[in-house]
Amino acid sequence: MSRIKSPSHAWPPANSSAPPAAARPSLPQRASYVQILVYLAFCLLILAVPLVIDDAFLLNKYARYLALGLAAAALSLSWGYSGILNLGQGVSFGLGAYAIAMHLKLKTSPVHTGAAGLPDFMVWNNVQTLPWFWEPFHSTLFAILAGMLLPVIVASLLGWFMFRARIVGVYVAIITLAMLVVTNLLFIDQQRYTGGFNGLTDLAWLEIGGVEFDPYSPTFYYLTAGCLSVCLLLGLALTRSKAGLILRAIRNDVDRVRFFGYDVAAYQILAFAVSAGMAGVAGMLYAMVLEFASPTFMGVPLSLSMVIWAAVGGRGSLLGATIGAILVNFMQGSLSETFLDTWQLILGALFILVVLFLPNGLASLIDMAGERLGRAPPRARTEEPAAAAPRAMGTFNTKQRG
Amino acid sequence: MDIVLGQLFTGLSIGSILLLVALGLAIIYGSMGVINLAHGEFVMLGAYSTWLLQSAFGLPFLACLVLVFFMVAFAGWVVERGVVRFLYYRPLDTILATWGIGIILQQAVRLSAGAELRYVQTPEALAGSIDLLGIAIPSYRLFILAVTAGLLLLTWFLVQHTEFGMKLRAVTQNREMASCYGINSSRVFSLTFAFGSGLAGLAGALVAPIKSVAPDMGTNFVVDAFMVVVVGGVGSLLGTVASSGILGGSTAGLAFLLNDTLAKALVFLAVVVLIRFRPRGLFVDRVRR
Repeated sequence: MSRIKSPSHAWPPANSSAPPAAARPSLPQRASYVQILVYLAFCLLILAVPLVIDDAFLLNKYARYLALGLAAAALSLSWGYSGILNLGQGVSFGLGAYAIAMHLKLKTSPVHTGAAGLPDFMVWNNVQTLPWFWEPFHSTLFAILAGMLLPVIVASLLGWFMFRARIVGVYVAIITLAMLVVTNLLFIDQQRYTGGFNGLTDLAWLEIGGVEFDPYSPTFYYLTAGCLSVCLLLGLALTRSKAGLILRAIRNDVDRVRFFGYDVAAYQILAFAVSAGMAGVAGMLYAMVLEFASPTFMGVPLSLSMVIWAAVGGRGSLLGATIGAILVNFMQGSLSETFLDTWQLILGALFILVVLFLPNGLASLIDMAGERLGRAPPRARTEEPAAAAPRAMGTFNTKQRG
Repeated sequence: MDIVLGQLFTGLSIGSILLLVALGLAIIYGSMGVINLAHGEFVMLGAYSTWLLQSAFGLPFLACLVLVFFMVAFAGWVVERGVVRFLYYRPLDTILATWGIGIILQQAVRLSAGAELRYVQTPEALAGSIDLLGIAIPSYRLFILAVTAGLLLLTWFLVQHTEFGMKLRAVTQNREMASCYGINSSRVFSLTFAFGSGLAGLAGALVAPIKSVAPDMGTNFVVDAFMVVVVGGVGSLLGTVASSGILGGSTAGLAFLLNDTLAKALVFLAVVVLIRFRPRGLFVDRVRR
């Protein structure tokens, strides 16, 4: 990959920044309960928002941020935990969005759909009958399952394709980026079936068991917050499981894990697919909250923005990435129109600063603060916390081999 | 026959623009391992500089080209000194940081020059077309082809036959060893980055008359250029030339059979498959690393 030799003496060897195994008695155990408690507290917090805020417009806005937060959390699962930099998160996000949008489009009242229950854009494109792959989307259950499973299947195939060939690092980034562009172009090109540039607009509301999810209602907000909570907790469970441990090991040193006899590719595919499923859910929620699905969901800028959010919040923490996305979008959303232009400049600069000085994002600030306050596990005090974090990051990145 | 020739020329024309944009990237990625996502923005800067020099100062197009090269090269130098040089040991993070730089450059241009499309005039001497074997070829496209070939030769000469090129090759092969022999490697890297950026700026100046100039024009270029560099093989100038020819030709051919969008999608899909089987690209130089 890079022709610069990554010299082992440029950074301390990888094991110097790892905590010595002997020095972790019960403290990490306690820290791990704290982690669960923090995640639970966050879930309760976002679920409680409608109790305080009674503004339909604001709730819609917050639901949108939560959906994007979920997309960032999904990214951190593959990127931060497993070292798979997926620049094509928009593929899963977009597939989820289109799956649910196809269902909601079919449910739109006949005024909009034109003749014979056909979606309006198909009428304009001279499509006579509903294409066969649109048919099953009459069913709500099918659409929701498709929104989750389609990204999982696509990601599994792509993951199998990449990871079996031991593609790592930069090349994963380039392949996922290329796949994103391909998907985006295909959706734009197949205008007769996807609505082309305009995407799917004028969507109905989702209805499950008689409950209507009006995007400007607390009901919908609860749906989004609930999905985010479930995904976060499932993600947390995954990262705390043995599979999560092996994924982190793969991130730090692929070859060692392989020498131990683990099937590295299988674990990478797992992380990639779970991340895609979560991104699919995020896409579904996003399409419902905006009431349309468009090819821009699969555009390069949005996918790279997700990377930015995850990096700002903390790529190595599901919650950090989520909060990063919510924070950045909240700031962006609360600025006045005139300031929005300058905001892009600030965002770019913020991003560069985070990459340069805070590779683990805002989440590492909290860790550092905790260590300063003396609540740190013993390893941190012996190893100057401020320096340890970026170095660990550096060693992990120079380990990518082409 | 005419159709075949016409298609051949279209392919050559697309390929030459690809090569023009990819050349700077190939130098930067090939020798420094930096994935520069701001490359498209340097192309955009080049296009805007040309527009500015032409509309505000009334400079002739050819004079613009020379100035634009140095302006954008300077911008590249600043970016390298300010950000990129801290990330040489974190290649994945260069993707993120340079994307941030891209956002800033894009927005800065949007704020200062406005979001509307700008137009750069084709110089009058190149506005017509030339009859070649029975088909009319726009002379400006021929001009681009010639300039691209010239720049390629210049780059090749610079890398292979000058002292700077020798230092660059030494640093590329083994930075520590080169430093031990007294080569100022960080200076070599910043000059290389500046040179690559300057080439991107030139590419922007050259495409400005045939494409619309907008703040977000770079995003498309950078992805295309990356595919060219990766397919060609990292650090291989010849590979970059060949792959821009292949990608340009196949895009033109498929576009003729299907349509532009589908052609691009299929070519990219082929690139993905290719990276899977030959991650180092089609033409890898045989430097031990």
